[in-house]
Amino acid sequence: MVGKILALGIVVLCLAVFPFVVENRFYVSLINQMLIYGLLAMSLDVLLGYTGLLSFMHNAYLGTGAYMVGLFLLHVAPSSLWITLLVGVMGTIILALPVGWVQVRTGGLAFALLTLAFGMMFFTVAWKWYTVTGGDDGLMGVPHPDISLFGWVLGSTGDPVAIYLLTLVVVLLCFLLTWRIVNSPFGAILEAIRENEDRASFVGINVRRFKLMGWLLACGLAGVSGGLFILWRGYIGPTTMSAFAGAGVLMMVLLGGMGSLWGPFVGAGIFILMQDYISTMTEHWELFVGMVVILLVLFMPRGFAGIGDRLARLGRERQ
Amino acid sequence: MTIILETERLYRRFGGVLATNDVNIRFGEKRLKSIIGPNGAGKTTLVNVITGRLPASSGRILFRDKDITNRPAHSLIRLGICRTFQITSVFLGLTAFENIRISRQSRKGGSLRIFSSRDSLMQVSEDAWKILEDLELVDQASTLARNLAHGDQRLLEVGMALAGEPELLFLDEPTAGMSPAETEHIAQMIKKLSEEISVVLIEHDMDVVMSISDEITVLHQGRIIAEGPPAAIRGDEKVKEAYLGHE
Repeated sequence: MVGKILALGIVVLCLAVFPFVVENRFYVSLINQMLIYGLLAMSLDVLLGYTGLLSFMHNAYLGTGAYMVGLFLLHVAPSSLWITLLVGVMGTIILALPVGWVQVRTGGLAFALLTLAFGMMFFTVAWKWYTVTGGDDGLMGVPHPDISLFGWVLGSTGDPVAIYLLTLVVVLLCFLLTWRIVNSPFGAILEAIRENEDRASFVGINVRRFKLMGWLLACGLAGVSGGLFILWRGYIGPTTMSAFAGAGVLMMVLLGGMGSLWGPFVGAGIFILMQDYISTMTEHWELFVGMVVILLVLFMPRGFAGIGDRLARLGRERQ
Repeated sequence: MTIILETERLYRRFGGVLATNDVNIRFGEKRLKSIIGPNGAGKTTLVNVITGRLPASSGRILFRDKDITNRPAHSLIRLGICRTFQITSVFLGLTAFENIRISRQSRKGGSLRIFSSRDSLMQVSEDAWKILEDLELVDQASTLARNLAHGDQRLLEVGMALAGEPELLFLDEPTAGMSPAETEHIAQMIKKLSEEISVVLIEHDMDVVMSISDEITVLHQGRIIAEGPPAAIRGDEKVKEAYLGHE
């Protein structure tokens, strides 16, 4: 436990000083992207690794959060950051509710297939509803509100370092919150559902209700990542909502390892790094990312978190 | 005898097959009733319908005179109607202790606490340990259920059902695949349980059934063909016919 807190502290410290050590804004922005997608992948892990539900549409909730925040900044309040983020998260949860209501009536393969169908609907709305979403142009010219706390202006979301630090703080808070929740009695219920849904209902668990709560938690967190996304990027387009991008988020979770919360952050980091480096060499970077994922699934089915666990166990046995 | 649960003209159809055919069965308070019958007689289907795993095609189920037909399983657990399964059904990836604790927790409440640790539900953990002690599974408490011996898994499942504080407990072939010694142990446990709660036993081992049951109901092709104390069932011509006709 102490070791875990120490490890987290060191990682956060390194990330916090990073933009002051590495001056190149490109790398700051790259890590910023990793943190945002790490949060998205972690929230998918709540569904996949803890509740046992496979969703292909989780990126759609990043998209939903981003569009909501973008639209609110464009049309309602261009300068109020916190209210906007809150609206983005609440809006995402509200949109996730009817979908979740239908989703939790299924399980296993049917659940996964339904997420594909819903994902397509979300994508189509973002792509075709020009008057609201800007269609395939996406939302452009989104204003950058200031980051202020109790009337004290800390910086602008338009500044790469300021938005990076904001992202780091929000992601850290979300990580701690989620860690608390999955290790609570509520988290134990989600695990029971993952292990054996049928049995869970025969120990008195209202499976649909708890699946829906898990779904809303995961979608709300994805909404946060969406809000951070548009503040960081200043733009959101429909391709972020596509099924292709949805598969990417799943790959991040698989790469990092399910059921660990921190694994998906590692997975997102590796995925984005591969995407970034390989795409400078060839347009067909997906081909290589796909091959890496196939190899990992075959030879390292528990992802990087699996290696971490194995090392920790080795360390304990040595003692 | 007080009736704890009864069915009225209960039917369950699978396509053209009547797996439960006009069943009127009553379970008495603190009694041990066994349901027997040849393979395919509809024993498990009957229990599945009563415990909310399958909807009834028609008919009514009354628990303490309250209609509970087609209620979802999880709400029946809260009334104290618990069960085990013919094919062992536990949370394989959780430890023995966690298996019991989750059952206890969902019965006692506290599952909506999202900001506290799992150990913060102290009464729940304490009760879970008590059940593990009663079942003599304390040494295996931190073993993953998937690594438990078959007999211990069956026992664990009984413990999960007991954690639900049943008033009416359905045990679907609890001794399946167990050694004679384990069978004897579990038979004694069931007998003792029936002094405090109502127990319904589906069982193939006739020695167990005949020695511990208060009453026996015989099903054949979805229908009740005989009912009564063990001595009466042993000599019943229709029962012999049903079993021999299938052999």
